[in-house]
Amino acid sequence: MVCYRCGCQLSEQDFCTSCGADVSLYKKILGLSNYYYNEGLGKAKVRDLTGAIDSLEQSLEFNSRNVEARNLLGLVYYEIGECTEAMSEWILSMNVEPKKNIASDYIQRIQNNPSRYDVIRQTMKKYNQALAYCEQGSKDLAIIQLKKVLSLSPRFVKAHLLLALLYMDNEDWEKARRELNKTLGIDKSNTQALLYLQEVDKMLAPDEIEKNDRKHKKEETVRYQSDNEVIIQPSNLADGTRSGFSTVLNIIIGLVIGAAAMYFLVLPANKREAQNEAQERVESIAGQLDSKTNQIQQLENQVATLEKAKEQLELDLDAYEGTEGKLREMDQLFVAASVYLSTKDVGQTAELLDSVRENVRIEDASEEFQGLYNALLALIGPELAKTYHEAGYVSFRNEDFPAAIENFLRAVYYDPNNAEALLDLGNAYRRNGDAVNAVTIYNRVIELFPDTDLARKAGQWLHDYNEGDTE
Amino acid sequence: MINFEEELKKFHPSTEVEEIQDCIYNHNATDIAGVFEQMFAHKEEMQQMQQMQMQAEQEMMGG
Repeated sequence: MVCYRCGCQLSEQDFCTSCGADVSLYKKILGLSNYYYNEGLGKAKVRDLTGAIDSLEQSLEFNSRNVEARNLLGLVYYEIGECTEAMSEWILSMNVEPKKNIASDYIQRIQNNPSRYDVIRQTMKKYNQALAYCEQGSKDLAIIQLKKVLSLSPRFVKAHLLLALLYMDNEDWEKARRELNKTLGIDKSNTQALLYLQEVDKMLAPDEIEKNDRKHKKEETVRYQSDNEVIIQPSNLADGTRSGFSTVLNIIIGLVIGAAAMYFLVLPANKREAQNEAQERVESIAGQLDSKTNQIQQLENQVATLEKAKEQLELDLDAYEGTEGKLREMDQLFVAASVYLSTKDVGQTAELLDSVRENVRIEDASEEFQGLYNALLALIGPELAKTYHEAGYVSFRNEDFPAAIENFLRAVYYDPNNAEALLDLGNAYRRNGDAVNAVTIYNRVIELFPDTDLARKAGQWLHDYNEGDTE
Repeated sequence: MINFEEELKKFHPSTEVEEIQDCIYNHNATDIAGVFEQMFAHKEEMQQMQQMQMQAEQEMMGG
């Protein structure tokens, strides 16, 4: 302790031994400051941090240069999460005592840890934001923000208190109580927390009263008078004489009830479970069976389709390779062409073409087949027609009209432009008594070869036929 | 019954890190010891002034 006037060290005397100034009052003031510092230290040791803050602020009211008190105040602020307040106090302390001051160590510890520094900055910002949300009425947002704050700084008492207040406003009493208990774990005499907790306890009290009542009922006693004495006996105290028998009886009753429960509840349940399992298994197997059946059906269908295709192919093959197949007709047509080209024998060629025509429908044959057939027919047709016409004429003269009709038909077939053969065919039909075909043929002559003598003859025959018919 | 609005008024924004400097500058460091020192200094000044006044009066009386 130094003299406020000359700065010399003071002794036990009430005056300065150096300048003679009266320091009695000054000493008392500094003494009070130290007293409050000690009180604050004592409270801080037992975690009465609110009380410690009050005492230390009181100490600094008396002597603002009390470095120890200021450093401790900073430490207490730091403990309750008020990091910026703590740093302010330590910086002020450093101004008073720049050398050998533990405050410099505290400040350096924070400043040398950038992540910690950032956490402090974020905590304060978010807390202020939460407070702003509260003032705006956005309580849900405030709760979310305060939860973030507490995840950053779990010892921030003000955040715990504000969160508890919000929970209380939401009538979420259990959560509020949890937050308040956390607060009191940090600062055990926080008056605000104690006040809120009192309110929370009051709101939760009805449950506790019920519990107490139940407890009380359990502990009810039986009172009875024996002579002049009142005997108080707990109701749940067992009767010694009956205890053995009643215990056995209770055990037997319990066993009976247990067996009955087993019979009526457990066994049916097990049976039902087993039935369900069996049912599920049967359904599963039935499902598998259905799918297998479907597969078999599909495979059978495939087999049938393939067999049909096979039969068709075999038929096609037979048609191509068989004795009456197309290949044979093709061969016959080639043979006919070959015979005509090598020998110019119209008769043999005609026989071969007739054979082809008997076995094949020319209209259904391929274009190439039809082309070759028609070409051969055009080459041999007129000559062949002439031959058949002559043969027919001979038969007509011999009055063998069916043979004549056959020959004339062939002549007309091989040479459709042979008008005489066509007219002779009509005559042969007429002489054979087939008037219908005769009329048809005469009409064809008139139609195909008009303004010819043959057409006039046909017309004359038709005229005569019509007159004879009317007569 | 606690009134939320009333209780909310008890909560004040925390000093942010950027505001520490302002907080220190605006800190009121007046204490009782300081007041005492000021009182003593004032008292001494008054005494000096009284002495000077008395000296002046004596000089005037002598003159």
